[in-house]
Parts: sequence; structure tokens; C-alpha cells
Amino acid sequence: MTGTEPLFARPLLPVANEDDADRTATLAFPHVAAAGGTATALHVIEKAGGAPDKAPLEQREEMAEAIFEWVRSAAADTGVDVETDLRYGTDVAETIFEAAEALGATAIVFTPRGGKAWWDLFSGDTRETLTTESEIPVVVLPSREDDPEDDETVDVDSPTDAEETTTGDDA
Amino acid sequence: MSGDEELAKDLGPLAALTIGVGTMIGAGIFVLPGDAILRAGSFASIAFVLGGVIAIFTALSASELGTAMPRSGGAYYYVNHALGPLLGSVAGWANWLGLAFASAFYMVGFGRYISRIFDVSGTVGVGPVGLDVVTIAALVGGAFFVLINYVGAKETGRLQNIIVVLLVAILAVFTLLGTFRADPANLPAPSTVGETLGTTGFIFVSYLGFVQITSVAEEIKDPGKNLPRAVIGSVVLVTVIYALVLVVMSAAVPQGFIADLVTDVAPGETQPIAVVEVGRQIQGALMGGALLFGGLLATASSANASILASSRINFAMGRDRIVTPALNEIHPRFGTPYRSIAITGGLILLFIVAGDIALLSGAASGLHLIIYGLLNIALIAMRYVNPEDYQPDFTVPLFPLLPILGTVLSFALLAYVEPDARLLSFGIALAAIVWYLLYARSRATKQGILGKYILHRSEELPDAAVSAATSVQPDGGDYRVLVPLANPEHQTDLITLGGAIAKQRNGTLVAVHIETVPDQTALESAREKMDLSASRSLLDSAREDATAFDVPVETHTVLSHQSFEGIFDAATTYDADLTVMGWGPDPHGSPGRAESAVDELASSLPCDFLVMKDRGFDPSEILLPTAGGPDSELSAAIASALSAEYDARVSLLHVSDDEESGRAFLDEWASENGLPDAELIVETGDVEEAIERHAADASMLIVGATERGLLSRLVRGTLVLDVIEDVECSVLLAEKKRKRSLWERLLGDSR
Repeated sequence: MTGTEPLFARPLLPVANEDDADRTATLAFPHVAAAGGTATALHVIEKAGGAPDKAPLEQREEMAEAIFEWVRSAAADTGVDVETDLRYGTDVAETIFEAAEALGATAIVFTPRGGKAWWDLFSGDTRETLTTESEIPVVVLPSREDDPEDDETVDVDSPTDAEETTTGDDA
Repeated sequence: MSGDEELAKDLGPLAALTIGVGTMIGAGIFVLPGDAILRAGSFASIAFVLGGVIAIFTALSASELGTAMPRSGGAYYYVNHALGPLLGSVAGWANWLGLAFASAFYMVGFGRYISRIFDVSGTVGVGPVGLDVVTIAALVGGAFFVLINYVGAKETGRLQNIIVVLLVAILAVFTLLGTFRADPANLPAPSTVGETLGTTGFIFVSYLGFVQITSVAEEIKDPGKNLPRAVIGSVVLVTVIYALVLVVMSAAVPQGFIADLVTDVAPGETQPIAVVEVGRQIQGALMGGALLFGGLLATASSANASILASSRINFAMGRDRIVTPALNEIHPRFGTPYRSIAITGGLILLFIVAGDIALLSGAASGLHLIIYGLLNIALIAMRYVNPEDYQPDFTVPLFPLLPILGTVLSFALLAYVEPDARLLSFGIALAAIVWYLLYARSRATKQGILGKYILHRSEELPDAAVSAATSVQPDGGDYRVLVPLANPEHQTDLITLGGAIAKQRNGTLVAVHIETVPDQTALESAREKMDLSASRSLLDSAREDATAFDVPVETHTVLSHQSFEGIFDAATTYDADLTVMGWGPDPHGSPGRAESAVDELASSLPCDFLVMKDRGFDPSEILLPTAGGPDSELSAAIASALSAEYDARVSLLHVSDDEESGRAFLDEWASENGLPDAELIVETGDVEEAIERHAADASMLIVGATERGLLSRLVRGTLVLDVIEDVECSVLLAEKKRKRSLWERLLGDSR
């Protein structure tokens, strides 16, 4: 890291799923284009480290390919150069840092995915770690908090919440 | 890549072994021995060894198949791969439900331990329903483990290794100390051979775990070596443990001790757990406590491993379209296949409430015995057909003797499974066949190795085999082209286009006439009253137009309030892969109507779409402008189908800032997209102008939707793409199927 390069010269975009990829690409690519940079989309497959994973490995590898496909098509739309990187790690934040170092990224860029919640106790708070422990700049792109359509965000999340409740009922 | 590989496949030999041992030992030691000794007397130990012997044949077959195909889904995958989706459906459902029954059984065992540890028993009445404490504890425990897997707490998996090592240590101490107290005079009288076999059928639920190792085969480090070791090793290890523990349990306590435990239970009291009471009797309260605590962990880890394994089976079944892939959607936050886990969890809780412990363990055993039989047959089929890519690192010795023995013994043991449970197992297998024929056959994408082989050699093989193989082949994965018809003027061209593509893809043409019904009329009443003769004649002539292509044709009339919604519904209902529709001046009565509704729909396309601006169907000179991206890949697929059908000339046009890099891009793109013979044109300057200039020489222009949401703007009539109006040839607009994007839902029209 030279410190003189623009933030968006070689940004690393960690993306968790297709929606996240879409949101991040839409918000970040204009900046990357403006800086004439090359973005790297990173997806981390979280491993249990010596125990069966929480979801099938092949399924998540297929999902990673779908995410990257999405990123590439968004990049083609905006004329941004994009590379993709698939990594495996037991600690998502740590793996992101490793990727950033390996690629000589100028910044780690992501969009937040809703509020902190109780299950961060289980899954670890990746976002918190990214913003507090990174050695390179971290850019958090706000997803239009003041927009009246922001209500929609709640709607969009609510199917998830509904599922949550359903399981609760099962229990 | 090798570093990644190492990270991706991180299950070492111990972890793989503990999946098997952990799943099996919970049932074998901590739930069943009391009843087993009661039934088989001193032969109880022999009943367990017999179970181990039957299991080991299947373990050998599973090891060979696992090293050849270390894929997600294990037993289901091998059966489906080798024997085709009919038996694949049986194996998949049996494996899935078998695991749910087994988990319910483990949780009832777990409930017993809770009840003994906290010394609570009896029945708690909730209104007219009375649940005993064991069932309530089983339900709460089951719900807890489902929830853990639903949110994907990663600590649970690692705990499994520790639990298993701890259990084996406790049991080793128990056995070692127990042998000092053993006295052959204590052994109860042996029971009959028939009763012993019956006991084997009853305890076989203790031998389900090893096959779960294969369901995570893709995650095992160096599977060629570690998978057989874990699979065979876990069966050998648990068989030895079962035999020793059972001998000690029978020989170290006076005759009648176990019988009294099992039968002499006050009403409403939870039955004492044999292994715990024996431990307490011969080695004091400390061993009793250790075994009590161990049993709790063992039953919990059995259930946990089974829930994890079932999501693998669901994934593999979804991938082959035996069930809908939507079942396996990954939760955006937890990263778990939450639907699959929630449904499996619901089944487990249902089974806990609905079945008694004998039915649960019997159904789990029965279903797994069916799978074991099929697994051995799958191995025989793979060896017999011997496809080129079948390269197992481990091979079953004494082929075909051992897999044949495995098949026969597994199916034979079914005779000794509890009658109700056996009936239930067969019922589920039969239901899985019906499921395949009614649901999955039209969707399943994969043909079995054996079926392919039989059909391939149909000349040499007996007719009966060939016709049997033909009649159950999946006809799904079949490429279905939907053509909605509205305007008779363009009908022939649309059907010709759709038919040509269907023919090239060996697919089916589905012609639908969408009849619009006024909003005020309910669709049901319209169906009764409307005169559909016009629709019928339209579809008849469509069928006639399609005869030239010799493809299967389906026709349907669809009633809908809005024709555009009708098309989307039809695409979903008839499972279309591609919809070919016209776009003329108002072909489907759309412009001016509720825009938001169209946006809502078109923001997530149910299949690929090809929209034709019809100026006469002439595919002799096709121009395909591309800048890469998925939509122009669809254009390329269409162009290549048309060029194969009509021997058309295809020209690819790429507009780039730099001539040289543009040519390099186009060269690569052409060969990647199966158009190596196409003429390549690279231009600099204005895109639309270049397209227009070259389109003058073309008879057909195929354009990929360069931006998403093209279709919605097209239908609303707000699309401003001058070039489409300016050229004189027919234009095909291609847009790929895609998921509705959250971003677009948020921003709606602002894009």
C-alpha cells in the first residue's frame, strides 16, 4: 500500500450472496470506474475446520459461481474491470484480510446487511472485525438509509424473519 | 489451487471416523442394550456382531463408490448415478426420511437421559393432550438441535470429535473394569436363533452412521485413503465396542438384573437405562454418572450429525431435480440451507410425537436396509458397465461375491424388522416411486449409468430390459420452449423459430394461447362459459406449423386477466426453459397498463426470454452484436441453434475502443460460445450506428439485453432503442432468466 493510490484503484469487494453482490456492485462500480481501477470480488466459503460444514460444499461452490456471474455481468454493464477470487477459511474476516494482502488491495469495500442481531453471537461479527482490525482502508457504502423506499428493506428481510418464526413454532 | 483444495477438504481421518462412530454409538450403547439382552439373552452380543457383519459388506461397497465419486449426497448420489432417478428417488427419500426417523429415535433416547438425570417423569397434561416428560424433553432437544443447525453455529461440528473420543474412553474404562467383575455364571440363557435375528433387526439402527460419512465425502481430505478407512473403520470399531460392552453388561451383573430394570418399572416412571445402571452397580456412582452424561452427549451428537447429513441428501436430490432445488436455498445471513433443515426438523418433531420408539428405530432401520441393498446393486452395476471415469481408489475384494452378499443380507434382514415399521418403510419406498413417476420424471435431469448402458446396447440386449429401461427414463431436463400466441399474423414465424430451437435442443414445443378475460369475470366462471373454439383452431394451426420440425408439441389454452401475467404464469406452470414471444404493435395488449405490475413481474424472469420483432422469418444472415455478458450468451446459443438448423451464416459484431483488443475479445468469445465459424467484425465508434450499418446486410438481428429490465420496458412501451425500429430485418431480443434483484426491487423505476 503506497497511500498515494486512489481508494478505488484496486478495491476488494467481499460479497456474501447474490443480493449482496448486486448491491455492492451497483454502489461500488461507479467509484471504481471513476478511479479507472480494477475491482476484485471475493467470496469466502466458511469452513468448520475439521468438522462437517453447515451447508454442502458443492452447493456453496455453485453459489459462488452464481455470485461471480452476477458480478461479471454488472461489471460488463458498467464497463469496469473485475476479477473474482474464491477462498475458503474458518474465519471470514481473517480470510478477507489475507486476500487483501495477497492482492495488494487499496481498500476493502462493502455494504452493510442490516442491523446487528443476536445470532452474531453464533456467527461472529465479520463486519465489526473488518472495520476495527483492517490494516488497509475500509469503505462502507451506505445503502440509502434516508430513502423513503428504505421501508422496503424491512419488507425484503421479513420473509427471512417469517421463516425464523416458523421454525420457532416448530420448536 | 492446491492450497485452496486443502482448505476446502478439511475433514481429516479422525473427523471422518467420528461422524460414523458418533452417529452409531448413541443408539447402540446408550439406548438399546437393555431390550436387546432381554430379547436375546446372552446372544445379544451375537445379535450386534451379526448386525456389524451385515453392515460391513455395505461399508465396503460404500467405500468403493465413495472413493470413485466423492460427491455431496453419498448413498443417494451413488444409487441415482448408477441406477437412474427411479431408484435414485427411492434412495433419496429413504435416506432423507430414514435420517429423520433415526434423529427422532435418538431424541427420544436423549429425552430418557434428561428424564433420568433430572429425575423427573410422568405425564404433563396440556388440555386433552398428555405428553410424558420423555417426549417433551425429546421435542425440546430436537427443536434445539434443529435451531443450532438452522443458524449454523459452527462450534457444534468440532464438539463432535471431542464427544466421540470421550465416549470411547468412557466405554473402554467401563469394559476394562467390567471384565474383572465378569463371571460366566451370570450370563442369561441364550435365546433362539429366530429371536436373535429379530434382535439384530431391532438393533440395526445402531449401524446407520457409516453411510453418513459418504454424504460429506466431498469435504474429506484425501478421500481415496481416508474415506474407506473411516467408513470401514467406524463399522469395525463400533461392532467391537458393542460386542464387548454387551458381554460385560450380561456377565458382570447377576442374572435377572437387566430384566428387572427393563420390566420392573412403576407406571409413569421412565425406564432405567441399562448401561447406566450396570455401570453404577459394578463401578459405583462415578461411572454411573459418566455413562449418564455420556449418553446425553451421544444421543445428541447422533441427531446432530443426522440433521447435517440430511441437508446433503436434499441438496443432491435438488441438483438432480428429484425435489425442487428451492428446498436448498441458502439463508442470506446464516449461510445454511434453512428450508431443508426446517423441513427435516419439522419431520423429526412430528415423528417424535407420532411414533413410539420401536416404530422410529424400525422405520430408520428398514429404510436404511433398502438403501444398503440398492447401494450394493449400484456397485455391481458400476463394475459391470465400467464407465471410463469410474476410477475408485479402493476396490471391494472378492467381487461380485461380497456385494451380492451385502444385497441379499440387507434385504433379508428387512424380514426381521418390526412389522409396522417394515410396512412403513415399503410404503415410503413405493411413495418415492410414485413421486418419481408423477413429479420427478418430467423434471429429473440425470440418467443412470445402467439405463444409458442398456439403451446404448439395445441391439444386443433382451427387448424386455430395453423397454423397461426406456419406460422409466427421465424425460425432464427436456428443453421446453414456450410460445405464447396472440396475433395470427406472426404465429407461423414464432412457431417456426420456437420449433427450430426445440429441435436443435431435442426439446419440446409448448404452444399456449392466452385468452384474456375481463377483470370482472372470475376465471373459473370464464372457463365454463367461454367459447374456446377460436383458441382451439389457433392451437391446431400452430401444431400444424410445428410438424415440420418433428418435435413433441403440447398445446394449452390459458385464461388470464392480463395477458402478460398469463405468459409468466404459463412459463412457470409449463416449466419452460425458453419463452419465444412476439412483440408487435401491442401483441399482448400491454402498453399503458399498470406499469408497476409489469415491473414487479419482469424484474425476475422465470425462464430465458426471446422476443421477436417480426419482419419476416429469414435466418440466412444473422448479425449478433455482443459486448459479452450472460444475455448475449443466450443470443449466441440461439444463433448457433438457428445456424445448425438453417445453415445460416452468423456474423459477430463487437464495438470496441481498441481494434486489437476488441478482436482478441471477440475471437475468444466466439469459440467459447460455440460459434467458431462465425464471421468476426470489430468496429470502433458509435455502437448503434455500427449495428445499423451491418444490419443492412443481415436478414436477422439478435440482440442480448445489454441492460437488465429490458423486457419490462419493452412491454411498457418505454423502450427507446432506435436501432430496432431503424433496421429492416427481424430482430430477436434475448434476455436470460434471472432472480429478482433486491436492488431493483428497492429502486424500482429510478434505473
